[in-house]
Order: sequence, then structure tokens, then C-alpha cells
Amino acid sequence: MSATRKLRGRGIAASWYGIARTATIDRAGAWAEIDDGGTGKIVTGVTEIGEGILTVLAQIAADEMGIKPDDVTIGDNDTARSPEAAHAGATRQTYMIGNSVALASRQARSVLFDEIADFWDVEVGTLKAFDGELWAANTNLKMSMSDAVATCKARGVVPLGSASFTAHGTGLDPVDGSGSPWQAYVFGTQIAEVEVDTYTGEIQVLGIWAAHDVGRAINPRGVEGQIEGGVVQGLGQALMEDYRTENGHTTTHGFAKYILPTSLDIPQINCTIIEDPDPLSPLQAKGIGEPALVPTAPAIMNAIYDAIGVRIKSLPATPEKILQALRDRDAAKRKEIA
Amino acid sequence: MPKLKLEMEVNGRKVSRETEPYKRLLDFLRDDLNLTGTKEGCGAGECGTCSVFVDGKLVKSCLMPAAKAAGATVETIEGMAKPGDLTPVQKAFHKTGASQCGYCIPGMVMAATSALRENPGAGIEEIKERLGGNICRCTGYTKIFEAVEIARDVIAGDLPETVLEEDAVQDTYIGANVRRLDAPSKVSGRLKYAADMKMHDMLQMQVLRSPHPHARIVSIDTCAAEAMEGVACVITSDDVPGKDGYGVFVHDQPTMATGKVRYVGEAVAAVAAEDLVTARRALAAIKVEYEELPGLFTPQDALKPGAPVIHDYAQDNLVKHIPVRKGDVAAGFEEADLILEDDFSTQQVEHAYLEPEAGIAYVDPDDVVVVISPSQNITHHRHMLAEIIDKPINKVRFIMSPVGGGFGGKEDMIYQGMLAIGAMKTHRPIQLNFTREESIIASAKRHPSKVHYKMGLTNAGRITAIEFSMLSDGGAYGMSSEGVMRKAAILSCGPYEVHNLKVDTTAVYTNNTPSGAFRTFGGMQAQFATESMMDMAAEALNMDPFEIRRVNMMKIGSRTHTQQELTTASLGRVMDAAQEASRWETGAPNVRGPLRGDLNGPDTRQPCTLGARFQGDGLDGGDKGKKENVA
Repeated sequence: MSATRKLRGRGIAASWYGIARTATIDRAGAWAEIDDGGTGKIVTGVTEIGEGILTVLAQIAADEMGIKPDDVTIGDNDTARSPEAAHAGATRQTYMIGNSVALASRQARSVLFDEIADFWDVEVGTLKAFDGELWAANTNLKMSMSDAVATCKARGVVPLGSASFTAHGTGLDPVDGSGSPWQAYVFGTQIAEVEVDTYTGEIQVLGIWAAHDVGRAINPRGVEGQIEGGVVQGLGQALMEDYRTENGHTTTHGFAKYILPTSLDIPQINCTIIEDPDPLSPLQAKGIGEPALVPTAPAIMNAIYDAIGVRIKSLPATPEKILQALRDRDAAKRKEIA
Repeated sequence: MPKLKLEMEVNGRKVSRETEPYKRLLDFLRDDLNLTGTKEGCGAGECGTCSVFVDGKLVKSCLMPAAKAAGATVETIEGMAKPGDLTPVQKAFHKTGASQCGYCIPGMVMAATSALRENPGAGIEEIKERLGGNICRCTGYTKIFEAVEIARDVIAGDLPETVLEEDAVQDTYIGANVRRLDAPSKVSGRLKYAADMKMHDMLQMQVLRSPHPHARIVSIDTCAAEAMEGVACVITSDDVPGKDGYGVFVHDQPTMATGKVRYVGEAVAAVAAEDLVTARRALAAIKVEYEELPGLFTPQDALKPGAPVIHDYAQDNLVKHIPVRKGDVAAGFEEADLILEDDFSTQQVEHAYLEPEAGIAYVDPDDVVVVISPSQNITHHRHMLAEIIDKPINKVRFIMSPVGGGFGGKEDMIYQGMLAIGAMKTHRPIQLNFTREESIIASAKRHPSKVHYKMGLTNAGRITAIEFSMLSDGGAYGMSSEGVMRKAAILSCGPYEVHNLKVDTTAVYTNNTPSGAFRTFGGMQAQFATESMMDMAAEALNMDPFEIRRVNMMKIGSRTHTQQELTTASLGRVMDAAQEASRWETGAPNVRGPLRGDLNGPDTRQPCTLGARFQGDGLDGGDKGKKENVA
């Protein structure tokens, strides 16, 4: 095998993205109850599409209520039973619904704390709760959240909260497009390392370094999962995925024709999570769902150029396209020499 | 049709059933035994969601006739652990966050279990090879690999079982790696997606789809289909009780084709029948007469004067044009030492969520029309459906079923209207499960794009002006095109402060499969062009690619392309982190790959040759693979 058959290179791409609905006001509502047994109940129109939002919301509610995430129940989205929290998209659920759940839970806690502070005859500001326990700072006063709820209810009060969170985007001017489409922005940068087989045109992506600002990582492992999934979808679009039609009829009917990344295509993905807190929301978190895949394809194309000096400007960079580009490059070189 | 008597052992229990002879093992498990943890993702053996063990061997149950499994020992995801318990593989999936939407996960757990049964010492390369027949669209596989390696080591006794437990938490749950609350239900196959749900007295719906990209519907004759035994109703656009039309930004799409069809795969009529086979037979009995119309298949053709008109309201075939203007572009190019001009394009992309579209509708005792579906936006769907079926909002109820992947592709209400109308006509629950082929032709794709780009820069790498124009094929219906064009325009020139720019993004109607929402919503198409241009400029100016980006990057106080002043901006920190993490060797991007010193580090994987990863059979090879991985 020729020493120059397989060539490696690296490329980078930077990116940016806006959080929540674009060029409009966005809103989300939630209800919260600190329930019997020191458990939590959250009702909101959230849509778990796989990103882990239910777990994120349970962490947020648990932290605000002073209980464990496992003890939080989140009702499924049901338009006749849940307050509106709008859609699963636009990288908005952690930002919009997360803050809404935080505020609703905080309100429920405040109701509970008022009753317990009165019951113990202490300043409400001295109360703390975490992981199922409630206590007054600098005292021996302590009880389980289960007892706290029972005490609160025995006094005739159900600890409830509700909240609506708003993100203030504005529309774009129809002539010059000016406007403030989002109140929170995130930035990302990815580096790709590739190996190009110049005989077959095949590209293997061997490494990705992905650094993304998420504001505040509620669940770092979940953030990594979003980055890894986004990178691999970006890789698919960069190298193989291609929905094709001929005169309106698809020629890629199934997964035998529509090629997707499998376990053998996966680079080592090295994630770096940056936390630049959002100053406009109580949680300070932003989002990661969509931004994760923006820089992947251009980073890979820049890496291919670094390796073999051909620039693919038309996705995907299939082996056929790479070989054609190499032939064109060599023909141009010969012409130069001639 | 005479029935077939099947006996086999399933999850340790003898089962004996009379069933239809055409059933696949997958159908027998799901429909006859209610073992719905085994999913149908493609029906063609290509995705692996239906993986089960037959006599100890991993098979794709969609490819095996049920009769072939007669007398065999079958294991499904439900049989992996005792009820309420999880195997080490399942616990490891829970621990690492290896399940996201969860639809591929039962099959993935079966494949991982098979890998470790075949070779308990399998190295990471062999594990990857053995998972190669199972597609996951959410996770990027990385956490799955981690889970299988942890499970391997726990089973072998090399790691204590405590590694599978939750990490301890100090004084806050914010920032903690809390294990996913929904993972146990996903790794065990217990979670019911819409296609897994059954209701008493439920009908099955099937949809007749357009074979033409653009045609006038002359007539639809449903008489023969309606007369068939077992058919409960046949519906067409004539059965829509209210004001028809849905879409994310413009309500230009009818529940079923009205007057004409605009793309191949568009719904024309639907049948609800006692069972799937009857519904499919009834579809074949519907007679539709079409008069073909000239079609438009490229956005360039759609904009030509005199082009065929696809929607009456849009005589110019324009879905949306978004302009963004800032500064003085001509003056900016005057200042430039270097002007680069080029063209870029991206393709249509399929979401390929592993769960095909599915749903159930019924009318409840209070006359509320209820739709259960894995939709990304049921709040908006109920507004649109209320108009379509002419009901007040509180008489329309949407319940979200677990979503087996969406990525934007489940924002469009492409089938819920048919289900609701069928339920209203029959007052029986109706279920519709798409096949993979149906999902691919009927659902929206990522917008393909063509970008013409002109960038001016000073010799110091400062961008002085950009002209950016994107033309995109919106396909037959508007769906999310308007929003996608808006986001593409807003983000177009990337995270750089550009004082003079002229940006135009345009989506047009054609007779291709519609384009719609897809993760990044136009952001990646635009920034692919920008980031390619940045590297081309860096090479021309002999600058490091990080350096040219730092010269131009947005900072606090910068004005975005839409002239919004930024009060936070983290790109500097993010680029520093990426540069450091990757051990980036500084230099211009001038094909220096072969000379680089930062390649092949410990944070890359080794390249592979297909089939070269099985290092012999048995423990020796496996240990070798494992050692290589450690080294």
C-alpha cells in the first residue's frame, strides 16, 4: 500500500444559535405541588422527544422543592390536562419550561415555608430544604419533607405554585430584517480529524472536539448526549445521507438506499461544556439540542481540504464526489505543468 | 384464510396460538403475544429495532416468518430480566444515558447482550462491529459503547456492581448526572409508544397516497371499498367538517388532497377497517382518476416566468423571502483587499427517527375528539384540528405519546386529521401506523439549499462586507419553510460581526417531497457556507483558522446581522476551549494535513477496515481487542 494512499487532516468550524422561538415572544406555563410523602408533582405541556427534558425538569423541581428527582412525578403532555408550554423544538424546552418549572416549584416551596416558619416561629428566610429534609438554619429544628407537607396541610394549606415564563424576542423588520429575534444566544466550535482513502474516496472521521456554551449544564451527561447525537447527525449529512427524488419520485425509499451512520462510523467525540450563564433567566441555563450539529459538517469539509486539498462545496462528500474532485485536482495540476 | 397453529417457547414460557399464516415473527410477538418491547422500525431488516433471540441467535424478527420459529426458543426484551429487575446491560444503559428517545433501545440491548454472550471479553472494536446492524438516531452511539463496556466489565467481575448505581450528589441536583428517569421503562421495553397501544374495539387505518407529483383529481370512487366486509369508513376531503388546512406558518395543506395532488405520497383518501389486511385491500378498491399536470422539480424552474402554479394563493410559487440588510455593502467591498465568491449546496435530508409516525384517535363519552400521537407540538395541533373538524378548542384533546425521535419531523400534523375524522365517523377508536416507506415519502425533509456567497476582507482578515443569497426547495407545502428561511437569514453570516451585509433567503414551492423543520432550522445550511468561506479566506490570507475567526467574532456589545446588541457572547471562551482540547497546531489551512504534528492522538479512534475487527473467536482475540483499547 502506498504511503500516500491514506491522508489525514483537521478542520474547524465555529457556530452560533438562538435559544427558544425565533423573532417572537415565547412562553411556557407550569403547575407545581409539593405532594404527600414529601413528593413533587409537576404538570406542564412538556414533550419528551428523547433529549432527557423530563429528567432535567425533575432535577429543577427537586432542587427548588428540596426533594429528590426520583420523587418528582411529571404528567405527560395532554392539552386537556396540562398548562400550555408550547412545542418541543427551537432548543427551547430547558430554557422555557425549565424556568417555568423552577418558578412554579419555588412558589410552592414558598407556601410551604411560610406555614412551617409560622409553625416553628422562626424567620422564613432561615428555612432550607434539600433531598427530602427541611430545617431552620442555626437551630435544631428539622423535619422530613413528608412531615412538612402533613403539617402544612393540617394547617389547612395545600402547597401549590404556578408560573409562566416569557422570553422576549421581537419580529424582524420586513425591509431590513432588523430586530432582536432572541434574548439568549449560544456559541460552539468543533474540530474534526479525518482520514481520506484516496483510492476509494472513503472518509473516516476519527475525532471530533466539540466545545459548546450551554449557559449552565443542568445534567452534564445529558448535554454530552445531545452533543454526541448532534455530531453524528452532522456527520451523516456531511458524508452519506442524501434524500433523492427523480421527477418528484423518491429513489431512497428505505434504509438500504438512505444511508445512515452506524456504530462503525462514529468518531471519538470529545465534549467540552462551557457555562456562560444567561443573565435573563432564573436558571441561567440556555440550550444545546440544535446547536450541537451546526458546525460538524463544515468542520469535516475543512478537514478534508486540509488532508487532500479538495474543497467539497456540495454535501454530502460521498466517495464518488471525493474521487471526482481528486481527478479534477490532478487534471488541473497536469495542465499547470503543461 | 385458514389459521396456523404455532407453538414455541417465549421468554421461558410455552405458548400456543392459532394465527394467520402470513405473520412475521415480529407480528406474532407484538400482536398475538402483546410483547411490544420489540419494535418495528423499518420492516426490512435494516434498522435492528426488532432484534430478538431465536434459539440463542440474534435475529431480526421482521425478516422471519412466524411459522419458521415454530418449536423454537425465543427471547425478547421482556424476557431479559425478571419483571421489575434489569440485567447488567440494561442497568449500564440506564447509568450512562445510553437511551434517549428509546425506540431503538430494546433492539440495541438485545444486540449488546448478544455481543457479550458471543464474546464476554469483546473489545470496543468488536462491540462496535457487533452493534453494526442496529441504527440509533439520537445518541451518536457513544454512550451506548460506554454502557456495553461497563456491562462487560461488571459481568466479568472486573468492575464492582456499584458502578451501575447513581452517582452521589452533594448539595444540589443542578449540575448532577442524575440518571434518566425514563430509562428503566425504555431499556426494558415496557414503555408503550403509539404503535404499541391497543384499545378495545379499535379499527386500523390505512392511507391511499398520490402516485403523481402534480395532478388534478378528476374523480374518487370509494363505493367498492365502502361495500367491503370489515370496512368501517372511507374518507376523502369531502368528509372534512370544518375549514381545512394546516401548516406551521401557512395553512396550505389539506387533511387529504383537495382538487389536486402536489407531491408523490400525499394523502388522498383513508380507510378504517376491522384489521390491517382488510384496510389495505379496501385501499386497492378505491378508484381515483387523475389528470397529470406539468410538475416543478427544481426551485430555479419554480421561479421562471410562466412556470406552472402549484398553489393558487402563490402565483409566483414563492413561500417566503427574508431580507436582512445592514450598513453599505458596496462601500464594504470597496474597502476589501480580497474578495472571494463561491457557491455551496446542501442536500435534502430525512429525519429517520426510528419510530415511524403512529397515532390513535377516539371520541370520548363527552364528545371530545381525542388524538394520541408522538407529536412535537400538540398545542398547535389542537388549534388547527379544532378548525378542521369545526369544534370548540375544549372539545379537541391531544395526548402526547412517547416520541420515538422527532428532530423537527414530528411538528407537522400530517395524519392526525384523518384519524380524528375517521373516529368521528365511526365512533370507534382508530389506529394508524406508518410503514417506513410511507414515513419517508410523506413526511418533511431538511431543506436543501443553494447559497451564492461573496465575502470581502482586509489583508488583516477583517470581513468588510458579505452578500449571501440562499435559494431553497420548500417542496409541495409550506410547513416550516417560512421559519427556516428566517432563521437561516438571521444566522447566515455566522458568529462574526459584519458591518455591511446583504442577506436574502428564499423558499419556493415545487412538486418535490415537502421540506420542513429539521434540527437547526436552516442554521446549518447557512453556516456550512460561511464556515467554508472562512477557511478559504484564511488560506488566501495565510492565517490560522482560529485567528481569522477571532478577528471577526462577536463580542459583548457587538451588533448581530439583525442589529441586535449582544449583552453576552461566549465565542472567545468556546474557541479557546476547543483549541486547547484538540491540541491544535497553529497554521494556515493550506493542505498541511500530511505535515501536522497534532494527529492520531489518544483522543481519536483508530481507522477501521470492515470485517477486520473480529480478532478470532473466543477469549484470546477478545482480550487482545480489549488490551488495544486500554493502550
